[in-house]
Amino acid sequence: MIGSGIKRGTAELAVLSVLQDGPLHGYELARRIEQQTNGALRFTLAALYPMLYRMEQQRWIRGSWETSANGRKRRCYRLTPAGKQKLSPLRREWAELFRALQRLTKVEHA
Amino acid sequence: MPDWQELVRQRLTGLELDAAEREEVQMELAAHLEESYGRFLQQGLTEKEASHRTIEQVSDWQELRRKIDAAKRREQPMKKRTQQLWIPGFLTLILSVVALATLQKSGWQPHIASTAPNTIFFFVPWLLLLPFLGAFGAYVSSRAGGSRGSALLASCFPVPALTGAFLSMFPIGMIIEWVRGSQGDFSKVGATLLKDGVGWLLFPGVALLAGGLLRQLLFGQRSASPNATIR
Repeated sequence: MIGSGIKRGTAELAVLSVLQDGPLHGYELARRIEQQTNGALRFTLAALYPMLYRMEQQRWIRGSWETSANGRKRRCYRLTPAGKQKLSPLRREWAELFRALQRLTKVEHA
Repeated sequence: MPDWQELVRQRLTGLELDAAEREEVQMELAAHLEESYGRFLQQGLTEKEASHRTIEQVSDWQELRRKIDAAKRREQPMKKRTQQLWIPGFLTLILSVVALATLQKSGWQPHIASTAPNTIFFFVPWLLLLPFLGAFGAYVSSRAGGSRGSALLASCFPVPALTGAFLSMFPIGMIIEWVRGSQGDFSKVGATLLKDGVGWLLFPGVALLAGGLLRQLLFGQRSASPNATIR
């Protein structure tokens, strides 16, 4: 299990990466991240929404209300052009950090 | 099934948002809880267990309220813009003006590039100093977490500011001419603005931007540390 400090730092990257595949509402977004990381990254409601609102204020994502096929209203988030722009340097920075940690700890697969 | 909307409304009292926004937040969180609850039921949990597991997602509602208030606060992007653009931009502008005034006071004379009537002044020592000031503006912006665009804009900030001042001189000049009763010559004023623009805006702008660009190319990568994304 990954420690909470690292999780906080990777959270934005996780959200931006998952939203790159298409718009999602908060619950589905959290589920998708959990599935794709085999449970290593888990977002509770209390962790997820303040982060989504902050990212929305930074204009990396945009939320809008949509009605699903079963008539439920959900707020869907999608990546903005600014979010797309943010994603590639963020990926590069984290890859760099992990490579550095790998070299430092001499661990094969950090 | 619990009334999730009502539960969220009760527990998130005191959200410092306008009514419509508060309603949206409550609806969104309630929808999330409802979805979680439904999923737990699908997994075979009893209604009581499912409710318990759903509510468990928020251990401290007041803490959540504070976090939502902070995240939604409008001032944040403005504050960032101030730190990443306006402060470094105005610093560059002030330093550029102070440098020019100091050089003039020290007796440096502007270099005349061509003869009248199309005389263009170049203040060579000032132009040589400007790349450093541009680099400084970009550095201050980057230090505050500014993007490459903000850093470059901060480095050449004196140009749009002075352009505004120059352009405002055009109508003011015309009004003065009109008040004095003389016929305003648009082409004359336009030509003066154009040649002054080259000497006082275009070349200084290029010098400032060159410094900012150079700073970003040489040190831009280093300042963009992953720490910026770790909260």
